[in-house]
Amino acid sequence: MGEALVATKARGPVTALSDLRSSGCLKVLFPRGNPERLTGIFINTAGGVTGGDHLRLRAEAGPDSHLTLSTQAAERAYRAQPKEVGRIATQLVLRGNAGLDWLPQETILFDHSALTRSLDVNMAGSARFLMVEPLVFGRAAMGERLAATALKDSVRIIRDGSLLFADCLQLAGDAQNLLERRAIAGGAGAMASVLLAAPAHEAESHLDAVRALMPDTGGVSLIRPGLLFARILAEDSFVLRQSLIPVLTRLNGALLPRTWMI
Amino acid sequence: MRTTTLMITAMITDAPHLTLMQWLSPAYPVGAFSYSHGLEWAIAAQDVSDASSLRDWLKDILCHGAGRNDAILLAHAWRAPRSALTELDGLARAFASSAERLLETRQQGAAFCRTTAAIWGDELPELTYPVALGFAARSHNLPLSLTAAFYLHAFASNLVSAAIRLVPLGQTEGQAVLAALAPLCEEVAEQAQTLTTDDLGGACFLADVAAMKHETQYTRLFRT
Repeated sequence: MGEALVATKARGPVTALSDLRSSGCLKVLFPRGNPERLTGIFINTAGGVTGGDHLRLRAEAGPDSHLTLSTQAAERAYRAQPKEVGRIATQLVLRGNAGLDWLPQETILFDHSALTRSLDVNMAGSARFLMVEPLVFGRAAMGERLAATALKDSVRIIRDGSLLFADCLQLAGDAQNLLERRAIAGGAGAMASVLLAAPAHEAESHLDAVRALMPDTGGVSLIRPGLLFARILAEDSFVLRQSLIPVLTRLNGALLPRTWMI
Repeated sequence: MRTTTLMITAMITDAPHLTLMQWLSPAYPVGAFSYSHGLEWAIAAQDVSDASSLRDWLKDILCHGAGRNDAILLAHAWRAPRSALTELDGLARAFASSAERLLETRQQGAAFCRTTAAIWGDELPELTYPVALGFAARSHNLPLSLTAAFYLHAFASNLVSAAIRLVPLGQTEGQAVLAALAPLCEEVAEQAQTLTTDDLGGACFLADVAAMKHETQYTRLFRT
């Protein structure tokens, strides 16, 4: 069990913490860096999520403030007991002209893991939200296959009160068999979704550049004004990072948190 | 003229199969023939190159992609009061994973609404395709299971036709693929009725990528 809350406010050009709470296995660190952006690093001291665990993360970037969030290590969805499900619920709020970068490291799905995860974002139209969610299918180094898993990974973004984007990745049962299929993952061992919700001219300005950075197994689209979305698949998490880092560096408009440096 | 229209309507409400056949036939002007749902890219990339790879690709889209999602949306629209349609339609749009996916569901839906309103006098706002069809079917007392199965079959049939135009796949082979997928259309249609909007989503990641890649495909016959 764990809960964490981070809130920021702008103090002139500087972003400062306005609230911070954490309990259970979740902690938040704030490495020193660019004072205009506050970087918070979540640490799950339990090392992962197992069936029955429940993590709750909340963050709010106040008007004109800029908050970057990442995780200290890859999250692990451990093997779960039958009928038990690990839950991670994240709620992010972006006020007027705020910026929030949600840049967690990979989530590794172990064989027989059961994870239900939700990311709910509520943002002002003038705000800027960048997201990446990398997933790794099994512990490749151990040659692990996802013979059984139950993943439900949902993202919902509300902008100015109306639903802008929804996605829910679902894998059930013999995921490896499914992931081998050509319309699904073509045998990929890792995948990421990348999303930028930003004022229309800015989102559009990245389209060509991000397209040029896509591998054969990745695509990007300006789904509607102010909404850029990419899916990238790769044989493993290392290759995935090689594709992701230039994309995220471009969209982040600044150096990535140190947790993203290879 | 007016009398004729009303008489035809009365006859049709007694024959749900015929109304559905009309709505979901390639002749009904929703423009389905111009959308390949990313298949044109998958064929160019040689992910789909023959009857068996086509069948696999379509099977995944039916079970883990737009087929299943559209069936869920259709079932909810069939049951929804008019006041809930806007929210459901917003959800359908939000789940579009690329610009072309949004285009195909928006354009076909709008064309379906226009045509159906012009013929039967339905009051249909501009809705995405599965939401429009589900709602119209309910208004015309057409059974949900049949509507959903017809919808999925028409979707698969349209993609089979697209494949016949793009790969060296004969008409007969294409129809054999469609025949093999028919039981799946029924199965997905039945299952979707038991699901909620929290079940929307899926796993057709590379099909999503194909639709994104199609946006810049050099030569293309299809709009998506």
